[in-house]
Amino acid sequence: MVDRRAALRVLLAFVAALVVWSTFSRPYERLVARSTEAVLRAFERPAVTRLEAVDPGFRVERRDFPPGSPRPGLPAADLHFNFVLLASLFALDRKPWEGGRVARLLLAGAVLFLVHVVALALQVQSVYATALGPWSEARYGPFARNVWAGGFHFYQIAGRFAAPFAIWWALRRGDSADEGEPSRRARRGGRRKKKRN
Amino acid sequence: MSKRREEDPQTAAARRRRSYGFLARFIGLLVVFYLIVASNPVNDHVIVPFTAGIAAVSGAFLDAIGEPVSVAGTEIRSEGFAVNIENGCNGVETALLFGSAVLAFPAAWARRLLGLLIGFFAIQAINLVRVVTLFWVGLHKPALFHSSHTVLWQSAIVLFGVLLFLFWAARESRAKSGTIAEGR
Repeated sequence: MVDRRAALRVLLAFVAALVVWSTFSRPYERLVARSTEAVLRAFERPAVTRLEAVDPGFRVERRDFPPGSPRPGLPAADLHFNFVLLASLFALDRKPWEGGRVARLLLAGAVLFLVHVVALALQVQSVYATALGPWSEARYGPFARNVWAGGFHFYQIAGRFAAPFAIWWALRRGDSADEGEPSRRARRGGRRKKKRN
Repeated sequence: MSKRREEDPQTAAARRRRSYGFLARFIGLLVVFYLIVASNPVNDHVIVPFTAGIAAVSGAFLDAIGEPVSVAGTEIRSEGFAVNIENGCNGVETALLFGSAVLAFPAAWARRLLGLLIGFFAIQAINLVRVVTLFWVGLHKPALFHSSHTVLWQSAIVLFGVLLFLFWAARESRAKSGTIAEGR
């Protein structure tokens, strides 16, 4: 599966995905910010969080923040650069543009978008729970602090790298040789060899 | 026309079960390894000294290519630039990914352990190149440091880890096929 041609396809896809990623990062961040804001506000009483995509990253606004206090800023590139990985993995297919593969890439992109929304929501909650001093301590107990901070830390250390691989693996058209199953050709070849002997 | 269409439904279902089984084991192992690596004792007594080792080796390489640096713990410093190697830059995250995938894959334990060992050293070798080149970029082309650090090298090293796993998995499958064919 990972032969020279596949490596070349992955390299080309890597460069192409980098261009796409850097071109559409800003509008994508606005979309992620709006969607995450909607998710966060759906669970808030009263709904006070506002997320803005600024250059660079995201800015967290809350209606109940004191006026004039500094607003937390969050980096954006770390959150969604894994799109480049996802697109590169889909180039491992021999003809990535044929047989529904483009549709699978689009579906994978949609799943990755949901991952980004969840990750940003975790990051915002992590900031609320751990980074705002007495405000955080008054509103979040030790368990909640660990859950939110641990959730986002998992995304930072493992999740953001594992997500593209897991999504690609789940959506790809399976090749039996990659799943521990002997391929049909190998079994036929083996039988022929036996007959010759 | 495609291999998939030739499969009978039972074979396809069995293949899907194996595929999703692998994915479930992979995610489970990743969470377990993450919890181990993120715990304070492991971080303080294993990860930080290991990262300091990476900084020391990278410093030696930088010295060898004519960039005099000093290393203190996980920090590499020269007159014009300094970096602190943190979690996420020490290759451990890619090793976690690779290790979880190899251990989740159905293969003999000895071959899995060999794969883990070789993969770990290969990932660390690439990570060494990453640290050295990033330091060089930071020193001589500082405008390119952020994008090289956040996007280019992070993606490249994880992609390397994934391709390494796929290469290993394909070899293991071929070896397994050969063993079954011999047995017939």
